[in-house]
Amino acid sequence: MPEGYFGQYVTIGIFAIVGTVLVAATLQLSRLVRPNHPTTAKLTTYESGIDPIGHGWSQSNVRYYIFALLFVVFDVEAVFLFPWAIVFEELGTAAFVEMVIFIGILALALLYAVKKRVLEWL
Amino acid sequence: MMELAQQVGATAAAVDWHAIAPELVLAATACIVLVADLFLPDDAKWLAMPLSAAGIIGTLAAIVSLIGAGNRLTLAGAFEVDGFALLFKGVFCVLGLLILAISFHYFRVGRYYQGEYYFLMLCSLLGGVVMSSARDLVTIFIAIELISIPGFIMAGLRKGDAKSNEAALKFFLFGVLSSAVMLYGMSLAYGATGELLLEGIRAKLTAADEPLIVLSVFFIVVGFAFKISAVPFHFWAPDTYEGSPSPVAAFLSTISKIGGFVGLIVLMFRAFPDVADTWRPIFALLAILTMTVGNMIALRQTHIIRLLAYSGIAQSGYVLVALALIEPGATASNEQAFQSAVIYLAIYGIMDAGAFAAAVAFARRGGSYFIEDYSGLWQRSPVLATLLAGFLISLAGTPPMAGFWAKVFVFLAAIEAQSYLLAIVMGLNAVVAAWYYLAVVKKMFFEKAELAEPVEVPAVLRVAMGLAAAALVAVFVYPRLVTELAERSLF
Repeated sequence: MPEGYFGQYVTIGIFAIVGTVLVAATLQLSRLVRPNHPTTAKLTTYESGIDPIGHGWSQSNVRYYIFALLFVVFDVEAVFLFPWAIVFEELGTAAFVEMVIFIGILALALLYAVKKRVLEWL
Repeated sequence: MMELAQQVGATAAAVDWHAIAPELVLAATACIVLVADLFLPDDAKWLAMPLSAAGIIGTLAAIVSLIGAGNRLTLAGAFEVDGFALLFKGVFCVLGLLILAISFHYFRVGRYYQGEYYFLMLCSLLGGVVMSSARDLVTIFIAIELISIPGFIMAGLRKGDAKSNEAALKFFLFGVLSSAVMLYGMSLAYGATGELLLEGIRAKLTAADEPLIVLSVFFIVVGFAFKISAVPFHFWAPDTYEGSPSPVAAFLSTISKIGGFVGLIVLMFRAFPDVADTWRPIFALLAILTMTVGNMIALRQTHIIRLLAYSGIAQSGYVLVALALIEPGATASNEQAFQSAVIYLAIYGIMDAGAFAAAVAFARRGGSYFIEDYSGLWQRSPVLATLLAGFLISLAGTPPMAGFWAKVFVFLAAIEAQSYLLAIVMGLNAVVAAWYYLAVVKKMFFEKAELAEPVEVPAVLRVAMGLAAAALVAVFVYPRLVTELAERSLF
């Protein structure tokens, strides 16, 4: 391995080259191997199996924003729950109480959303 | 995995619950206020205010119970309860009560989202209370964000008002930018030393790290300079104060700003005191610019909130002077500078909140924030005129108010540290500042009133302003009240 501060850039350079070549090579390889029979259905934009409606610049309803926000809250909660669940047995009651408080505070946010009727589709 | 669990378990078991009791009480209050607001009918929503006040008084009780219990270190060294922390927790709670008094009628009459406002305000206050005890980079960052983020929303609470929207957006953009810059600085300090705890950073700093540490301190200071609205990072402050609801402006200019200063002081005195040579010039430059530019622009203001905003910028400059006096090894003069900064912040909070309270009380009826409408206030409402004059005189730093000692202590510290340039600039600025503060006083007492009707002041506001003014006079008569606390808060 090359020595010194700038020597470390050589390592980064090697990784950059290998990374680029690897991606380019696999893409070229699959182009060589795969069959190519385009049809109209195959060339349409993929939208989870439904026929695409409208064009790419269509606007989505601002109300989805609230659901996105609530989703993020509980997504982050899940991120904290996983490591907690793994060490849960060793930590005992204290950890359980702490996590209940944490989820309780997040549940308050949900209660707030329900009472403010943001979850109703007007 | 077992090892990790044991480590986590060890720290989880070692939590000193008494030490974090004030924070727990305040956090619980915030949650209760939010839920109570959901179930209160519209005409009883104002109950959120007495509920919040009770919570803050409970927090104060928890703080008092920690006095004399010695220094406590918990949460793996990230959280310390010492004289400094207790003093500022107390200052934040007292200011919180003042802000509640200012907010009550404003939000009750205006019916602006009362429950949400008090909830957000308590969260932001919690940030300040945590900041007083934060002793590692992560806790300091979380505390400063906890102070700022509810502030963005509070500034925009008057949704229908374009100026309020502008205030919130400007505050948000500058706040986010400053957080990013600060975080970058913190990451450099962490990268150089591999430590998050401030004590650890201080112990591991070596001469070899110097270029990195200079960069780190520079970015951290720039980040905080936005929060404390130091020139040239002050552009957001006057517009935000003017556009946001006035009690929120009072909040931002006292609790939010002092919170920023507390973080800055802790970082500079606990992590970087040994490399003070590198950051002293930054603070000297910031202090001179902030004092001078703030005062010069304040001279031309015709709107009382904008006047208080620019004068608040200048006031930040005086505290920055104290930070610009630190020299590695000069223990005596460093301690004096530190104490003068602590005293200045405590007194500044009370007098600035008082001045905002008077401005809100005056604007309540006529709705005017323009200084020319203050003429002859003495004839219309002698009590309000006297109180506002008292707060302005205190801000100007003239006897018989506590603001006098605040400036004198910083000035003496500058002389002690032989920074004569800073002392002279500060003296000149105090004179300029006295001009525009006393101009308002002159208008109120020596000019004729255009209107004769008296200005009604609600009882809550009157009591709050009266107590604040009495405290300022008491500290002037017997400065030992605050110097004693400042001595105990030495690190």
